[in-house]
Amino acid sequence: MRPSLRFLLRWESFLVLLLIAEILIFGAINPRFLRPSSLLYSTSDFVQIGIVALPLTLVIIAGGIDVSFASVVGLCAIVFGVSVHFGLNVPVAMLLAVLAGGLCGLFNAAVILTSRIQPLVVTLGSLYLFSGLAVVLSGSIGAGGYEGIGGFPQFFTDIANMHLLGLPMPLAILLIEAILLGCILQFTRFGRMVYLVGLSEKAALFNGMPLDRVRMWTYVLLGVFAAIAGLILTSYFGSARTDLGTQTLLSAVTAVALGGASVYGGKGTIFGTLIATLLVGYLQQGLQMSGVSSQISGALSGALLLIAVSGRQLAGGVSVLSFLRPTALHASK
Amino acid sequence: MIRFFSKNRTASLLVISAVSFALIGAFAPGFLSFATVRTILINGMIMMTVSLGVMGVLLTRNIDVSVGSTLGLSAAVLGLLLQAEVALPLAMAGALATGLLAGLLNGVLVAVIGVPAIIATLGTLGLYRGLLLILTGGVWIENLPQSLKALASPRFAGFPILIFVVAAIVLLAHLFLSHTRKGRFVYAVGDNRDAARHIGLPVRHIELSVFVFAGLMSAVGGIIFAAQIGFLPGQAGSGIELRVIAACVLGGISLLGGSGTVAGLVVAVFFLTSIDSALIYLRIPGYWNDLIAGAMLLLVLVVDGRLRLLIDKSVRAKRYANHASTDKGQSLIKATPGLTTSGGNQ
Repeated sequence: MRPSLRFLLRWESFLVLLLIAEILIFGAINPRFLRPSSLLYSTSDFVQIGIVALPLTLVIIAGGIDVSFASVVGLCAIVFGVSVHFGLNVPVAMLLAVLAGGLCGLFNAAVILTSRIQPLVVTLGSLYLFSGLAVVLSGSIGAGGYEGIGGFPQFFTDIANMHLLGLPMPLAILLIEAILLGCILQFTRFGRMVYLVGLSEKAALFNGMPLDRVRMWTYVLLGVFAAIAGLILTSYFGSARTDLGTQTLLSAVTAVALGGASVYGGKGTIFGTLIATLLVGYLQQGLQMSGVSSQISGALSGALLLIAVSGRQLAGGVSVLSFLRPTALHASK
Repeated sequence: MIRFFSKNRTASLLVISAVSFALIGAFAPGFLSFATVRTILINGMIMMTVSLGVMGVLLTRNIDVSVGSTLGLSAAVLGLLLQAEVALPLAMAGALATGLLAGLLNGVLVAVIGVPAIIATLGTLGLYRGLLLILTGGVWIENLPQSLKALASPRFAGFPILIFVVAAIVLLAHLFLSHTRKGRFVYAVGDNRDAARHIGLPVRHIELSVFVFAGLMSAVGGIIFAAQIGFLPGQAGSGIELRVIAACVLGGISLLGGSGTVAGLVVAVFFLTSIDSALIYLRIPGYWNDLIAGAMLLLVLVVDGRLRLLIDKSVRAKRYANHASTDKGQSLIKATPGLTTSGGNQ
């Protein structure tokens, strides 16, 4: 195959094809799905998955993992709600929420890096800790679990319904975030270090790279963006609840895995995760519009993940085999 | 003393449990009673069985996050079969078969196809939950027959029959893992997969078996759930996977595979369960539950991790000290000073 066409063999190209096929299939079932407005505005229902999945990609590329972001989303929403409740003005409260998110990330990083316990275990603990903290905080001002904290000023709840460059605000934030993180990962020293740290910890260490600092920043970034997701959801629903983020946990990890990042570190792209987020999100939306109950969509997105990943695994196995057999190698040329 | 506790997670957890029980007992009279212990044991049954299954998977350095959905799915199969007036033993067999198949699919994905366990079981977590909702149509299964609920009602000294089944399973698992060759194989695979393969262990077969066992144990958990609760919501068992992994880690089962004991797990499960009961006696609102559980888990882990690092350091320091003293006077080593720093014979 000519080098100029080699990008077609990339996993991301396959995901794009899959996404186009998915949209066309749902369009055939229900033509309303294909309307630009419904394609655009249905994103508001799943944008939060992408907002946390993108920085999670960085964490996973650097060889770590974080599951506590699901609680950070709710915790930061509650921090915002409580601050507003106590009379702080909205921009300051939003800043506080983002700060809280960053601190959560810093906490995870500090525990992981000083105790050298596996990140999955630590963040599992902080998943409980943060959601517990959120529940205690919201309980302290007497807010019920399911109503949450409401009564925010109009201009805050309008944020999620505003437009930027003709795009709904949540989607615009996601795209800006993708460009920002993509550039950081691709064009900065920090971004390249993230890959190397995940690829080979020893090699990075012997090259004198600030291993711990690189890892720390990936967790802090995830915390900050989890806070932003919490704020967007609070604005979208008009109330801050502790469980705002629980649904994002599995979908976001699914998006990162489907997007081609390796849980062993060193592999993955922002673009892949972005496309996978759209794939997972539109699957849920499309099924809903085709009249399939939302219950089945969970099964289907699970099945999608399994088929995609085991397909890639099997295809990878085949190509490895073909390298072992000289005849097959020639045939493929 | 410190060394003993750092080497023996079960002992340190037992001491922590005893101290916290005594403290709680001092503040809340009435907590330290047979009835409390009984309640904790009964409440911990589901978590005990499910975490036993997950433990096997963790020992081989894999992970299974789909157990909650498997629990729900097999409980739903049990409920639907009972509603269709199938005899109880047959319905229970159906539930166990469901768990077995669910575990088998996980095992095939991980051991045969080679998908990373966390990704594979994350996929089946969604898949099995969806299947459960499709099967039940999203409707709660109610009116489970009395014969099923009787399994969970007090019988001997306030203990239900099921608890003896659970105790037997725990005992068998302990004997299997620590006293049989096959049991040690499980540890070997998790400790060093390549080495295990090279000495001729059927690595893939073992990995497949632990996933099937995890599925089976989740099904047992599902049966206990149905018997205890008496009805089946669509969300039965969801979220238990995280609690179970937390219990395993607290009990000293390493996520890096190859270490951990059933005894440690038993203490950890009942320690976590007792937090719920203790909060009630201390009159702390239930919403503190997650915060305290999370803080406890992190605290134990961090202290444990720091202790281990310290011990490692002191062991290494001693080793080098030995080395330095024996090296003196050996002309061979003196001639090549690089040897002492590179470790020599360890």
